[in-house]
Amino acid sequence: MSPPRKGHKDFQTESVGRVGELRLDYTRRDHKTIIARSHCTSPWHLLPPIYLDETGMAYTLLLNPSGGLVGGDHLSIDLSLDAGTHVLISAPSANRIYRSLGEVSVQEVKVAVGAGAVLEWFPEHTIPFGGSRYRQTLHVKLARGATILLWDAIASGRIAGEERWAFTSLENEILITTASGNSILERFALDPATDLGRIGLAEEWDYVASLYVVSDAVPSETWSRLEARLGSILDEHPGQQLGGVSMPAVPGVSVKLLTRTAPDLTRVLDALWAAARAELWNLPPVAWRKY
Amino acid sequence: MNTRALLEGLRFTDTFFPSGGYAYSSGLEAAVQAGAVKDAMQLAAYVEDLLRGGMSRREALAAKLANRAGLTGQLDAAVKVDRELESTKLGRESRLASRQMGRQVIKVAADQLLGKTVLRGYLDAVGTDRTPGHLAVSLGLTLGACGWKGDETVAAFLYQTAMGFISAAMRLLPIGQNEGQRVLGEWLPLIDRISREISTETLMSSWSPIQDIYTMRHGRLEWRLFRS
Repeated sequence: MSPPRKGHKDFQTESVGRVGELRLDYTRRDHKTIIARSHCTSPWHLLPPIYLDETGMAYTLLLNPSGGLVGGDHLSIDLSLDAGTHVLISAPSANRIYRSLGEVSVQEVKVAVGAGAVLEWFPEHTIPFGGSRYRQTLHVKLARGATILLWDAIASGRIAGEERWAFTSLENEILITTASGNSILERFALDPATDLGRIGLAEEWDYVASLYVVSDAVPSETWSRLEARLGSILDEHPGQQLGGVSMPAVPGVSVKLLTRTAPDLTRVLDALWAAARAELWNLPPVAWRKY
Repeated sequence: MNTRALLEGLRFTDTFFPSGGYAYSSGLEAAVQAGAVKDAMQLAAYVEDLLRGGMSRREALAAKLANRAGLTGQLDAAVKVDRELESTKLGRESRLASRQMGRQVIKVAADQLLGKTVLRGYLDAVGTDRTPGHLAVSLGLTLGACGWKGDETVAAFLYQTAMGFISAAMRLLPIGQNEGQRVLGEWLPLIDRISREISTETLMSSWSPIQDIYTMRHGRLEWRLFRS
């Protein structure tokens, strides 16, 4: 819920920013995943799920009409997937993080994926503007038999305007915990003005992305085949992309990717995602509608 | 540090110690084969970038936290940082390499540094898969039990890592011993700075996407001198 508006006399700059909450609880009904309960406060807008195919997968767009976060914004997303549900999450456009003189822009995502449920998390990339301060946490808990495909990508900035790696700070934390209690943790804290927080050699690239595919319900030979298949995709177009795939400390594969352009990022994402869907479920690529 | 403590700890960081580190390049071999590292200057940039962004707030921090656990005998603290480090190691080869070398360190330390119950407890935890046994933690714990301070332990860990890169580079690139010594010497101020500045209050984090990718790519090389 948004904080109450204050009169101009007691308006304080430190209270600038919105507190937006989005909570979606998915359940399964008649071979279809539906939203059983929802709660949404500004700036989030809730759209009904779209059904792209016959699988019953609920495709939900995260819609923030402002297009991004300003300093002091604190947006949260809380998803709960009942057993056996299948959800695809994306966003209509990139998540822009606007310049801030002091306050950090925060986005917190919490996801609980029930037994045998599937979440495909494929938002558009984040664009941190020059002078922006951003902190994102993305915490996922998987029940036994649950599966997640999680994509997370950042751009160096507003590249067309030659504003690259010019943000003030950028923190990102992805934590995926399986039913066994083991986890994947990717956490970085970039603060280019400091010695230990600088971008370093990655500065020559413009997009950095991670893909995690995790499930304790998949045989190890499937992971080996998927790793080989993703590795072949990542070997393509040397110079335009640099990527690697391996197996993390939980059942699954992890991918790290650098590209020079947004079309390259999209091309590789589409290929990786299609390979994962084919290998795990023998399903075709998602033909999504966004615009 | 007193001389006895210095000597006791030195043998765990010396190249004579049988950790098996000579078999690993930590992804450098893949970077060399891809043409990303061709000479001493590029090697220096590649490793400095890794020490600064990739290891300072991860392995170096883990070593400092484990050092404190070794000094105070807090096994639970060592296990906690070890498990967190395991979660952050997304590449199989680098994760297994770190575990293999760490297990060798703690095995010798627990067997030979008698009276240090935290080392024996950690070895038991590693042996029963309650903790993975990563090198930064095993070494940090061991040097802490030897009486080394946190910054000394981190410096020794990073120096050992840097030396490993030089050793691998001399087999992969046209770099001789003198040039290797020069490059190693250039890294010392950075190692010193990280050792002193990294705070145990810091959250574990890491940013070295290029090195991470080459570490992941190593397993797909057609021919290899190294295991990582």
